[in-house]
Amino acid sequence: MSDARSPSVQVSPTPVSLAEVGQYSCGLTLVFVLASTCWVLLPYTGDLFAALVFLMAIVLAGTRWNRGPVLMMAVVSALVWDYFFIPPQFTLNIDKPQDMVMFSLFFIVALSMGHLITRLRAREAALAQHHQEREHLLELKHRTEMLAESERLHRTLLDSVAHELKTPIAIIRTALDGLGQGNPYAKEIETANRRLQRIVESFLEMTQVESEALEPQPDWCEIGDVLHAATKPNQQELAAHTLRITGTEDLPLLRLDSRLLAQVLGNLLHNATRYAPSGTDIEIHAALAGNTLELRVRDHGPGLPLGSEDQLFEKFYRAPDSPTGGTGLGLAIARGLMRAMKGDIEAHTHPEGGAEFVLHLPVKTRSAA
Amino acid sequence: MSKALIIDDEQQMRRLLRMVLESRGYEVCEAAEGQLGLQEAAFHRPDVVLLDLGLPGMNGLEVLKRLREWSDVPVLVLSVRDKETIKVEALENGADDYVTKPFGTAELLARLTVIQRRRFTRQSAEIVVGELKLDLLHHEASLDEAPLKLTPTEFALLKVLAEHAGRIVTQNQIMKQVWAGQTSDPSEGLRVHINHLRKKIGESGPRIVNEPGIGYRLEDS
Repeated sequence: MSDARSPSVQVSPTPVSLAEVGQYSCGLTLVFVLASTCWVLLPYTGDLFAALVFLMAIVLAGTRWNRGPVLMMAVVSALVWDYFFIPPQFTLNIDKPQDMVMFSLFFIVALSMGHLITRLRAREAALAQHHQEREHLLELKHRTEMLAESERLHRTLLDSVAHELKTPIAIIRTALDGLGQGNPYAKEIETANRRLQRIVESFLEMTQVESEALEPQPDWCEIGDVLHAATKPNQQELAAHTLRITGTEDLPLLRLDSRLLAQVLGNLLHNATRYAPSGTDIEIHAALAGNTLELRVRDHGPGLPLGSEDQLFEKFYRAPDSPTGGTGLGLAIARGLMRAMKGDIEAHTHPEGGAEFVLHLPVKTRSAA
Repeated sequence: MSKALIIDDEQQMRRLLRMVLESRGYEVCEAAEGQLGLQEAAFHRPDVVLLDLGLPGMNGLEVLKRLREWSDVPVLVLSVRDKETIKVEALENGADDYVTKPFGTAELLARLTVIQRRRFTRQSAEIVVGELKLDLLHHEASLDEAPLKLTPTEFALLKVLAEHAGRIVTQNQIMKQVWAGQTSDPSEGLRVHINHLRKKIGESGPRIVNEPGIGYRLEDS
């Protein structure tokens, strides 16, 4: 029966299914059994009884079977009835007009049954499909709600963890200011606190990058403003180096998320100050090729360990002889942020020494003039 | 002696801020949550409010909105990093400036001083920021006594920044005051004019500092 429910059988009954073959043979058997029974009972009941029995069988078959077998049953039982029951028996001739009417009734009933069945089945199938779609939609809605809810929970949790972690750091910072600058112990606490702050922020940023909740908000900006925002949090570390910035003068206004890009550059600059010996130059070069902004950050440190150019951006990767401290997250975050902005980052050792990081970022441009 | 009201849920933070402020001669009152903060504000009539945006219960933004219904006391917002949209919302709902936790006391005190300098009162037709002078009567600007040639838009822009000298002004606030929301892509125009202004002011005058995702601040160098 399940086959009969499928819409393909309903709409185009040409491919005869196994179930339909079964129905044909069942129909034939049924007609045979009923004909034999009626034949036995004929002396007591008369030929009209046989006709009614056949009709009932057709109607019942119609409620369960397909159109073909029902029609076949109608034809066969009509012929059987005509041949064996209507006088004159054993001929296909019909004498009486009421037998004629009865004979036509067979076909009319059978045909309307077939028609009704087809319509009924089609409606059933449509209903079933509708129901299925509804369930699917409901499930989808449910799943979306669940996702939104878990996203919200995740964010609330992250917010409260962030708050819990950052508050003591902020308190230490303010308290240290109260102690005054003169105390060398206070200076050590301050350094450690800054380090702690950086670690906490890295972990929180990494979580954000990984949750894919990050949506860049591009706006027109001046590359100088981005660089300013990138250098500001690293001022202390950068004091030991000379920062040389080239290529920014000729750049037009760019449409990008300046906060995210500043964060990427900030991470790269921080890295450079950690690996390059103090007193060396750190260079930033900006260039625009078509709609792609290219930024190069180069230091004059030892360069990258051979073959680590890709591993570098993996979470928690730390180069074999890198200085102590650091989480191994800075570059992973940088790459995550660049990719969130549809850009990318790569690294290599500069032919003349030192590590060089290259950022590619698709941007909209318009002349600043 | 000015009165400061601290609204922050962290007791230790309140205690520290109280020490810092009292050492600078402030009289300090405090509240651990928003509703209480509003009551304290009504009762003590502080000269400046330090408001933590991450309050439990009634959040800082809501406190600010309620406060602004009846008071124009200068408000300094304390917030963590990565909450730029909330900062902008706070600024556009009447906060005067913000500091990002963790902050240094020097930065905090500087901000407090700036926002307590009464918001520009139009009793004088002249605004002075360091070497920069704006003559609102004649629409003329000068830098270190030398006249600055500004277009009307540049003048209007510089006026907004100078009126809020030392304080952050959000991009929307600038655009509302200078263009009254009439340009199609206002932020682009804003950047272009800021660019021109920076070039005209040069290295010697006050700097126009951008804070990504928030706005601009005119800093007297």
